Amino acid sequence: MSKVYFSTWNGEFINNINKPQEEWEESAYNLPAQYDSHRESKAFIGWDGVALFDEDVDVIRLAMEYAAQYQEYSEACGRCAPGRWGGRILYDQLDKIARGEGSVADLDHLREIGKSMQITSKCEIGKTVPNPIIDLMKHFEDVFMECINEQKPSKHYGDEIGYIAKITAPCTDACPSHVDIPAYIEGVRDLRMDDSLMATRQTMPLAHVCGRVCPHPCEDACRRTNLDEPISIMSLKRLGADWETDHGYDFFHPMEKKPSIGKRVAVIGAGPAGLTTAYYLAAEGIEVDVYEELPVLGGEVAVGVPEYRMPIDKYNKDIECVKDMGVNFLVNSKINADDMRRFESEYDATMVATGTRISKKVYCDNERPEIKGYWGAIDFLDKVNLYEKYGYTITKAEQEENLLTTDYVDLTGKILVCVGGGFTSMDVVRCAIRANAKKVYMIYRRDEKTIIKNTTYEEYHEAVEEGVEFLFHSAVAQMRDEDNLLKSLLVDKFELVPDPNGGRAELVKIEGASYEIEADYIIPAVSQSADLELLPEEWEIEKTSWATIKTNGKDYMTSRKGIFASGDCEYGPMTIVNAVGQAKRAASVMARYVQSGEVSLSDDEIMEDHLRKLRVYDKKEKVTGWLPGIPRQHSTVLDAEDRKYNNKEVKLGFTQEEAMSEAERCMRCYYIAMVQA
Amino acid sequence: MNKIINFTIDGIQVQAQKGETILTVARKNGIYIPTMCYISKTSPCASCRMCVVEANGVDGFVLSCNTPPTEGIEITTNNDALQNERVNIMKLYDVNHPLECGVCDKSGECDLQNKTLEFSVERQNFSARDQLREIKHWGLIDYEPSLCIMCEKCVHVCNEVIGDDAIEVKFGGYSSTIIPKNSEMLDCTFCGECIAVCPVGALTSSGFRYRANAWELERVPATCAHCSAGCPLEYETRHSAINGADEIFRVKNNFEFTSLCGAGRFGFDFDNKQSSEANSFELALKAIENAKAIRFSSIITNEEAHILQLLKEKLGIKLFNEDARLFGEFMKSYGSLSGKLHHSGSLDAIKHSDAAIVIGSRIATDNPGVRYALTTASKHNGAKIVYAHPMEDVLMQNVITQMMKYEVGTEEGVMALLAYEILKDADLTESERAFFDDLDLGYIYAETNIGEEELSYMSKSFTRAKKRVLIIGNDLIAHERAGNIAMLAALIEKYSDFSLVVVPREANTLGVSLINTLERDENIENVVGYNAKGDFVISSLGSADLAIPALNQQEGTVVSIDNRVLPTNVALHFSGYTLNDLAKALGVHKDETTHYTQELRREAGFKGIAFDDLENFLSPLGEDNRGYLLDEVALEANGELEELDDLPEFNGTIIYQCDPVLQFNNYTLKAEQLPKDNFLHGSAQFSVAARISDGDMVEISFAKTKIQRKFKLDSELKGTVALNPTFDISVDAGRYRFEKSKIVRVM
Repeated sequence: MSKVYFSTWNGEFINNINKPQEEWEESAYNLPAQYDSHRESKAFIGWDGVALFDEDVDVIRLAMEYAAQYQEYSEACGRCAPGRWGGRILYDQLDKIARGEGSVADLDHLREIGKSMQITSKCEIGKTVPNPIIDLMKHFEDVFMECINEQKPSKHYGDEIGYIAKITAPCTDACPSHVDIPAYIEGVRDLRMDDSLMATRQTMPLAHVCGRVCPHPCEDACRRTNLDEPISIMSLKRLGADWETDHGYDFFHPMEKKPSIGKRVAVIGAGPAGLTTAYYLAAEGIEVDVYEELPVLGGEVAVGVPEYRMPIDKYNKDIECVKDMGVNFLVNSKINADDMRRFESEYDATMVATGTRISKKVYCDNERPEIKGYWGAIDFLDKVNLYEKYGYTITKAEQEENLLTTDYVDLTGKILVCVGGGFTSMDVVRCAIRANAKKVYMIYRRDEKTIIKNTTYEEYHEAVEEGVEFLFHSAVAQMRDEDNLLKSLLVDKFELVPDPNGGRAELVKIEGASYEIEADYIIPAVSQSADLELLPEEWEIEKTSWATIKTNGKDYMTSRKGIFASGDCEYGPMTIVNAVGQAKRAASVMARYVQSGEVSLSDDEIMEDHLRKLRVYDKKEKVTGWLPGIPRQHSTVLDAEDRKYNNKEVKLGFTQEEAMSEAERCMRCYYIAMVQA
Repeated sequence: MNKIINFTIDGIQVQAQKGETILTVARKNGIYIPTMCYISKTSPCASCRMCVVEANGVDGFVLSCNTPPTEGIEITTNNDALQNERVNIMKLYDVNHPLECGVCDKSGECDLQNKTLEFSVERQNFSARDQLREIKHWGLIDYEPSLCIMCEKCVHVCNEVIGDDAIEVKFGGYSSTIIPKNSEMLDCTFCGECIAVCPVGALTSSGFRYRANAWELERVPATCAHCSAGCPLEYETRHSAINGADEIFRVKNNFEFTSLCGAGRFGFDFDNKQSSEANSFELALKAIENAKAIRFSSIITNEEAHILQLLKEKLGIKLFNEDARLFGEFMKSYGSLSGKLHHSGSLDAIKHSDAAIVIGSRIATDNPGVRYALTTASKHNGAKIVYAHPMEDVLMQNVITQMMKYEVGTEEGVMALLAYEILKDADLTESERAFFDDLDLGYIYAETNIGEEELSYMSKSFTRAKKRVLIIGNDLIAHERAGNIAMLAALIEKYSDFSLVVVPREANTLGVSLINTLERDENIENVVGYNAKGDFVISSLGSADLAIPALNQQEGTVVSIDNRVLPTNVALHFSGYTLNDLAKALGVHKDETTHYTQELRREAGFKGIAFDDLENFLSPLGEDNRGYLLDEVALEANGELEELDDLPEFNGTIIYQCDPVLQFNNYTLKAEQLPKDNFLHGSAQFSVAARISDGDMVEISFAKTKIQRKFKLDSELKGTVALNPTFDISVDAGRYRFEKSKIVRVM
């Protein structure tokens, strides 16, 4: 919250005109008053109003420059009659007034055209660009009239002033990878799948993956929710990727690969973060070597996410797409501290993207790894996926360790208990069903609602349909074994006791309600931690309190210069799209760093962070100009009986008809924000 | 779930089916909502915003073109507020639109003119700085950006209906423009569909530019003469100069619902300008009387074919037409198993399909109508499309989802495999099942080069499909084993949910095959050629012994790929004799050729409707009311599949008889505007194997033919088969289109 001279942001009205600065009121919003470390903002203007942080702002010029941005932001504009001509007329009329040649009639024309744009434009840019302009005309009418009456230029007309603008949308803002969602949906709507795919790949190279297994935080920020239901944003993403694959096209890259600039970067880990870093660095003409510990590429999405959710042939297309940009991959290459020291001199920068591959403990009595039947989720999923997707069999020794009699995971006759509640645990229990387990339990401390919130509605219900039994408000208290062979588990029951003071409800153990269940396996899938052995001790790289690598969350450089980190090893176990978003940003920073030695953010990135702080989505906003009640499409899911014992992809994706009708629901909520700094 | 939605428009109770928008329902009910960018055959462009309407209880205006109605909603299509916004939009469209209507090609039929008047835009409140915008010359197409209103119709049809995807919007607010996609110059098949749909004079035909005004031209509805798609078009004619003869100035089409390829649109000037010598009529009569046979092409009307049949019967001569004979034979075999005469599919069935197999045709050039239907299916239904052929075709890449590349000559094996895969669980008769049980699959996989996994991939990709279609091209019809292939096709149609389309080679191959009893062409003396080679040639192609009118100078009917009997009319007057004149002199008497229309063979499904009673229009909602569909004809189903023959091997230098885009035959060859790319096109691999290089003049020998052509290295081709154009030569339509040939460089 910062003091403002004037603000109409989001319906607030603060007018400190003619008041001394000490008495200025604060805005209720996180407006970007400080542009970056060395520049203060003078004004912020956007879809929802305008805020001035300085008395000296030339409001006519500000309005004019904002209208000019409408012409600049070509990717979203030029698609409708009111926007295309209206936007230009706004600019021309404002410029006319600003240069001292305006007339009173011009103000009327501005209002008239502004209103038509607000009512009939195709996207929210066209509808909202007039908003702050009309605000300024209204509240600074005297300034406009002065220029008109005296036929003089506005006070800073012709001065060199920095205006920095950024286009955004509520969904794009909420997406950790800031995917240009309206653009890829428009591609589907226009049946231009290549455009759709390239829009996605601008910031997200894993279009197949994030069109299938993304938890889609964007959908929680979809403005269509204010009208009826959010757009099925995620499912629309895979259309472009599937189209490219189906038609056997070469990869549609959104940018042309630049010629080599003679710089080299090492990337440790070929998961989503590593792949993303590599893709965008390679596009910049940087030579990238990606080191992967496992024999296969793809990280957790390859060896963690099961085939029925993310078919490997589709993921391999995403990986090939990265390769196609010209990236070297080295598999079976576990990197140690000595390698890292060597990399520091051999490469211009290094990205650590090793994920979190250590399964955390359950923290119950008698939790001893040597008990047979105690099997970490990550290792369990590795074994399942490496066999199912790539045909890697399990060695005799490992079979014995995990009570198996076959060279793949066959749980026939076995009872498996998973402790978790997140995506990983869902993967464990559903893989266990497919491995023919006699009985599969999921033990979770909280309730059904929370598990849905932590994963997705579909994921939970699909698991239930397949026969997983969920034990809510439960926790394992003790592992019971005979000669180090797991026999059963003691499970405590909890209840949610509301806080009489209105605080957060608390889980309280119900005494005497504990019970025992038979179990052959217990799979801890509570959470994962990062293995950071590879970081040389003497580098003293700073860690977070979660034992992950610390960065400032903006440029992703660690406390050691030239060493970057992104993905789960930085953030802790999180989503694919989060890892991609971090890595995309980091790649951009690294591309500049290897050339200049400086760590910096681009204006676009600075604005991106400001807008994220401000939050673009306003769930209270009333949506007009759209007919409510048009149902969200749902893609067909294989019947439980058809999918339970095999690895067929569960979600079939939209038919073309479903996709088009879903795409038509998108309201193209593009907005332009601009700072005068 | 086929829920019907009830709602009202302007107080009228209306119903919407699933997938319909407010605008489509309004149009169906005859309620007018103005639009500038809407085109029925594509997804909504949604750029003009003219179609906004009010919905009760909803703040703001709702776009009607892309919004489906909700139950009970009350829509208002017009009131002062809506009118005001529409007027403002028209004012915006008019900002800086050049006032050059006096010379603009579009003037008189321009949507911008019409709507400017309709909305009484009398004064302009808005202004913006004008910008200098250069006219682009893209070969047959000119683009004038200053006239462009950026409705995006052109971009949508090019991508969604044609499949060229050759133009796109370059975004940039006020300076947005249409540009060639991924290329400096427009690189496309020049169908000219973008010209057709352009509501203003921005996209125009360079050949027509500034030559005539819309209101001076007379429109003659006709059926395109170039392929069997039977596309409706209008020839627009006018006198060419003061006292000049009439000439066709251009071709237009009802672009709202139908499409034309470039040959149809720009290849209109194939009318016969030859006038005959005084005694040529007598010579022609004598030639026919003495003839052992008449050899004729299928680029004639049903009525001409009927007259030829009557002459045959009267004079006891033979009729040769290998193209129609093979088609007829194919359909006969098909009928022997299916028990009916006509294939079940149509272009519409292809458009609405969500799974298709195309086999044995380079379909994009063989029949653009089928290509456009496939594009529509691919884009709008996400159809999975298998393209089975020995050669890839880049024109089809964005449509097909599976290339099934088989060895030249092994079509029978491929069809057997397809039938085997599709009919795995079908309820076949014992003998039919035995056919499949006896197949030596290992041998067929090896010889066709189609893998088992390709077949299962196809089945997998078709899993969700509900409307499937099998499209069969000339390589199967002209195949040595066509009989068995036709029965396999019939079997698939009979026992699966596939409908079947057999693609006729020429404009009226199908009609001729139904009307004429044809003998196998023998190389005998005393043959009269009718639009074909002969000892005495009666032809509309010029330099004939007797000149006759071309298809755009005649009235009559043809039968299209849809089994539809389509009328066509006289665009240009022909002064000379017709076949009917000859027939009359030979004792086969009717005053007018079109008097035979109602006498066309009922046994073949013709309805006996008189020519003048045939309808010829598309309804305002696009229903095809041209002519009529042939009646189905039941046949005795006594055919039995033969055991699969040994699959032939084609080694050495192979050419494929195939025309480039915009060319079909000797008629398109005559058309001034159509490019005449008559090179032998081959890949780099072919060039190495044949030891020839780009630009070499080569002699190609196959069968008894020897021709010389320049060789062109074509980077879009792969493999060892070269493409040999046929439009500038006459090829034996009775032959399989792949030919083992000898190619030598000519010094």
